[in-house]
Amino acid sequence: MQLITILIVAFLGAGIVYLIGKISGKARDILAVLASLIVVILVSLAYNQKIYTSFYPLPFLNLSLTLRIDPLSWFFAIAVAGIGFLSILFSLEYMKHYQKLDFYYSMMLFVNAGMLGVVLSADFLSLYIFWEIMSWSTYLLISYKGGKAVGAGLKYIVMSTVGSIAMLFAIVSLYTSYGTLEFSSLASLLQTASSGYILFLLIMFIIGFGIKNAIWPLHTWLPDAHAEAVSPFSAVLSGILVRIGIYGFVLVMYSIVGLNLLHKLGYGLLNFNYILCWIGAISIIIGTFIALLQDDDKRLLAWHAIGQGGYMILGISFGTTLGIAGGIFHTLNHCIYIALLFLVTGAVEYRTGGVRDLNQLGGLIKKMPVTFIGGLIGISGLIGIPLTNGFVSKWLIYKTLIMEKHPFLAFVALIGTWGTILSVYKFLHNIFLGQLPEKYKDVKEVPWAMRLPMIILTSVIILFGILPGIPLNVISGIERSFGIKPLSTIIFGMPREIGELNIINILAAIVVAGVFIYLIFSLSTRSRRVNQYDNYAAGSFIPKDKYQYSVRFYDPVYRIIGPYLRDVVDDFYYWLVEKSKSFFQGVRQIYTGNVNTYALYILLFLAFLIITKIGWGLW
Amino acid sequence: MVIKAVWIIVLPIIAFIIGVFFLGLSRKVIARIHRRYGPPIYQPVIDLIKLMNQKSISHGRLFDMGVILSLAGSIVLVLFIPFGGIAPLSGSGDFLVVLYLMLLAPLGVALSGGEGANPNISIGISRKMMLSLGYEVPLLFSILAVMTYYKTTSLVEITKAQQHLSWGVIYLPLPAIAYFMILPAMLGIRPFDIVSAPQEISSGPSVEYGGRYLALMTVEHAFHTFIVLALFVDLFLGGGNPFTFFVKMLVVFLLGLFIHAVFPRFRIDQAIKYCWKWPSILALAGLVIAYVVA
Amino acid sequence: MVNPSLLIAVPLAFAFSIPLFGLVSKKIGKYIPVVALLINVGISFILIPQILKKPAVVSIGGWSPPFCINLVVGPLGVFLVTLISSIGLLVAIYAISYIKEEPTEKYHMLFLLLITGATGIVLTGDIFNLFVFFEILCISSYALVAYNKDKEGTEAAMKYLIQGSVGSSFVLIGIALLYGMFGTLNMADIASRVTSADPTFLFISLAFLITGFGIEAAVFPLNAWLPDAHSSAPSSISAILSGIAIKTGVYGVARMIYTIFNADGILTFIAFLGLLTLLIGEMSAFRQNDIKRLLAYSSIGQIGLIVFALGIATSLGVFAGLFQIVSHALAKALLFLAAGYMIYRVGSKSIDSLSGLGRKMPLTSFAFTIGSFSLIGLPPFAGFISKFSIVYAAIQVKKPIFLVFVVIALIATVIEAGYFFKVVQNLYFKEGKNVDNVTETSGYIIVPMIILVISIIVIGIHPQFITGLLKGAAGELLGRTGYIGWVLGGS
Repeated sequence: MQLITILIVAFLGAGIVYLIGKISGKARDILAVLASLIVVILVSLAYNQKIYTSFYPLPFLNLSLTLRIDPLSWFFAIAVAGIGFLSILFSLEYMKHYQKLDFYYSMMLFVNAGMLGVVLSADFLSLYIFWEIMSWSTYLLISYKGGKAVGAGLKYIVMSTVGSIAMLFAIVSLYTSYGTLEFSSLASLLQTASSGYILFLLIMFIIGFGIKNAIWPLHTWLPDAHAEAVSPFSAVLSGILVRIGIYGFVLVMYSIVGLNLLHKLGYGLLNFNYILCWIGAISIIIGTFIALLQDDDKRLLAWHAIGQGGYMILGISFGTTLGIAGGIFHTLNHCIYIALLFLVTGAVEYRTGGVRDLNQLGGLIKKMPVTFIGGLIGISGLIGIPLTNGFVSKWLIYKTLIMEKHPFLAFVALIGTWGTILSVYKFLHNIFLGQLPEKYKDVKEVPWAMRLPMIILTSVIILFGILPGIPLNVISGIERSFGIKPLSTIIFGMPREIGELNIINILAAIVVAGVFIYLIFSLSTRSRRVNQYDNYAAGSFIPKDKYQYSVRFYDPVYRIIGPYLRDVVDDFYYWLVEKSKSFFQGVRQIYTGNVNTYALYILLFLAFLIITKIGWGLW
Repeated sequence: MVIKAVWIIVLPIIAFIIGVFFLGLSRKVIARIHRRYGPPIYQPVIDLIKLMNQKSISHGRLFDMGVILSLAGSIVLVLFIPFGGIAPLSGSGDFLVVLYLMLLAPLGVALSGGEGANPNISIGISRKMMLSLGYEVPLLFSILAVMTYYKTTSLVEITKAQQHLSWGVIYLPLPAIAYFMILPAMLGIRPFDIVSAPQEISSGPSVEYGGRYLALMTVEHAFHTFIVLALFVDLFLGGGNPFTFFVKMLVVFLLGLFIHAVFPRFRIDQAIKYCWKWPSILALAGLVIAYVVA
Repeated sequence: MVNPSLLIAVPLAFAFSIPLFGLVSKKIGKYIPVVALLINVGISFILIPQILKKPAVVSIGGWSPPFCINLVVGPLGVFLVTLISSIGLLVAIYAISYIKEEPTEKYHMLFLLLITGATGIVLTGDIFNLFVFFEILCISSYALVAYNKDKEGTEAAMKYLIQGSVGSSFVLIGIALLYGMFGTLNMADIASRVTSADPTFLFISLAFLITGFGIEAAVFPLNAWLPDAHSSAPSSISAILSGIAIKTGVYGVARMIYTIFNADGILTFIAFLGLLTLLIGEMSAFRQNDIKRLLAYSSIGQIGLIVFALGIATSLGVFAGLFQIVSHALAKALLFLAAGYMIYRVGSKSIDSLSGLGRKMPLTSFAFTIGSFSLIGLPPFAGFISKFSIVYAAIQVKKPIFLVFVVIALIATVIEAGYFFKVVQNLYFKEGKNVDNVTETSGYIIVPMIILVISIIVIGIHPQFITGLLKGAAGELLGRTGYIGWVLGGS
């Protein structure tokens, strides 16, 4: 099967959807879902193949654009295709009240196609081309909602452009040094390069990929963009778009440069890998703890995208078998549960009329149970409770950090989990638990088109949690392709040599214990069901809508750690932009408007040329 | 294999008995310190039997399921922590699994309490989360110190390395002291009983529990006490055989009780600041020393 | 073999015929430029394969070079002529509907004269002939800038006139110095004899010529006329000026430095000058509120980029510069045409008043978006190929100073991205204020924009269409002995 088919279907799908949308709305919806589904099927057919095609020659540059499938690209491609399909399915109902839907659906497919192009590229030029296509289509789709999203989109695209020019600089430099841009050739050619040059390349690529992945200090676009975009697209953004940055990291650090060369960069503790680990650690702390302070549910999840990204960077840059496997697995897991959580917030928004403020919601579990289950499992995955997939990936990262004697990094990773626990519990509690406000009495569960993606994602979380061997097998394949010692797994966990982890036993124990307790429970005296207003209030009567404790949920902690958690990087960037704006304004004053000045400029220029020649013989 | 299965069934029963015994013992000892008689030691058993036969109210499915999940989590946890060298499921999960299974209990209570729709419950849960964030910092430092020093993440190996009187508390005194300083926080006894502050927030998360729910909560409390004490003994006081293990647990528990009997309650921000100050500093120092030495 | 002198003769003849046709019917005048340029486009496309095989030298008047005025049609010449004719044709179609203010005949006549001037500049082989056509171009543009007869336009035209005259005088002085030194006006002849003269004197002449042509080419600090002129002119004229006229100025500078004077030493300075122009242009554009001034400053920036590329004196650098000429001409023409139509419908030039036009004028807004994306350098548009080639050429030189230059050029891209993306967002994602009765109706206006959009996308996806021609053109600019050989017949 030709690889180019996948891309052609993806891009053409976007175009056709736009045109058909002009004729019929229904046909467009169905076609969009179909197109994304076909892409999923095509990508899964490519499993375990090794294909490499050159599909577009550019003779004037002596290059051609190439595509490939290998374990790493297949892994990311299936994630891209899957999340894209589920988001479009969710959008069928969610976007009913929005306008310009042709644009929306075609852009969703276009972004999908761009991301697929990025992960399927086999040389840097194709990667760059698809990367840029992905970036500007994302910018258009973020701004689609209007209002505050416009500013968020602009911030995103300007930061993304800075990253792109860093990447362009590195790519062209590679091209001039080696004459080729293909990954496989570069991998062998770079073995002979000087460490300084490799360090320069890595830093340029880290800026480029890091801005997309939103590691600290390049993260400031993410909270605004993810919070203000429409919810199905936020799911795609948080879930897979930022992880394309991780794909880039893994690609450059392991596929091309390789672990051996990486270890040679730097002296002692000031190792390149180690510094990157600490950058990941700082992202974890800042991300998860600032999430604690948020009142808007989508901003809370967006800060988690930053925090969890820190885990991935930490795992990947740590460089051991377990670490890399943990980092890559965490990428997949995070993409599943953050997509799920954004779909959950989207469902809540849809039924409550766009409410995102955590302080106003409450008690929705009684009205939206399926959404609640989705939220609960998503949160469990985010925290990393055993039996979910998040636990396995985090376990891998902790284990390797402790065993390789880096307890301080392990501490950061572990305390990050506690920050996560607090913030996502607030998320779950303020939306679903507690007293149901009067105004949401008539909220119903969301339609099946919105429920289905949530159910699918929930089951995947639990499936990968109980049978982690399935994805870990693919990841071992990836590690093998880098030449690193691969991870050995059994279907239910880790074999003895690496450590103790056998999920099925844990599951069995919990189930047996649960059943046993349930028996005791049902053998004792029955209880009668009461409604929420039949509550203990120390003798007084229950006021409606005032009995929900959710505002300033963690007030003492806010007071203690709040002052330290301002986003100083964001403030710095804004200061930089303001200063630049006034500088640019000043530069424009060179053109004074007075034509005498202009004539003076001309004469001065001529004089300058002649005098420097005669005086110093410069030319 | 058969022995393992036997222990899987017997160990929770032993834990239950010891836990309930500790619960009764605590009331008696505190009463004695307060110069009164106190209830008999088997009082909790009587309470449990009474509660199981009492009618109660329920706020929904999740209200029921949450309590069951919480107790199931605690029971399963017992199987992973070596009790005097017996740890049937420790081959399926090491210390990191234990740390995360410890999350199931409060999560269960939080979920069931969430459906209760009472602000006292929510305040109690939020206090529990914040208190956990507080004591996790020194706890993680001392646990990491232990794991770094013994170069393993398996509890069984940690206890094995502490045989023959080479207890952890001798080689890692600072982490042990730090852990002991936050032990009341983990047990939920004064000065850290903020979560279930009876006079302030009407027992916090348990305010809507009655009958069988309260019974299960009491059992969960018993298991939780057992687990926390067993963890401390495993990490710092050497495992030993089941009988010495029980004696060590008793000693530690009594020391904790003496503090509980005479101290008033902290406010939650005082509690967090306390946990983040001296215990963290001591534990961090211990970690640095362990890192350098190991 | 078509006679290349037709390329100049046709627009000139049709220009003077417009008043004659005007006596017959008022309405026919606006179709004449279309006819003339259609013929020109046809001739240039026919010429391309022939010239690529063997460049043509056409002597006028039966004398042989170096004694006559001759046209030298090499790959560079035919490339520029094709570009000029094509863009001119599209703008002429646009102007059929767009130009409504009287006296329309004079507009079309001056327009054809401008095209004649531009075509003459790139085709001629005689330096004084170059000056003559240069003057034709400049004078037509002075008049066309003032066409709208408002205060702004007149003031801008006056300023342009003053500075342009200074420039033309300098060119004349430079030519006079050359004539004094060599006694001939034929460019190839001067080129072959240039080593035999006093370097200082030679340099003074070069300085005058660079300054003179530089004013038209809009390099810093000589480009102060451009923001006023391009923003106050009618939009079709802005398109031509930004797309064609300033490129001829660049051609003049390049021809002087590369072919005639062979002054390699000054090329790094030229690159630096281009970079400075780029930076100042983009920075000044950033806070503009008036869309046409923003596009004018952006033109300054892009010319800076072209000059920078031409200053990298390698074949790849010159190729990249020429590609950038194509991509900028297409994109800027498209942007001015689209902006002009939007301003005409909405009635105001400020960017805020253009909010929400994405809904009412979808094709125009789409054209504007494509043009701006191409200018920023996003794939899969033409601007990406040109920017990539420029960066590649600069890094390939392997001199550290050029690495610094490239970094600065890329930073200027970020600034450019900042303001263009904001404008695009305004079009589509902000609410319009009083755009209720805005529609898109005129076919004459839409068709050129669509053709430009298609060309940008096609060249972006399949640059092979023009790379052969561009490589030949780059070769001509760098290979001065070849040029001399064509004209003087080997030596």
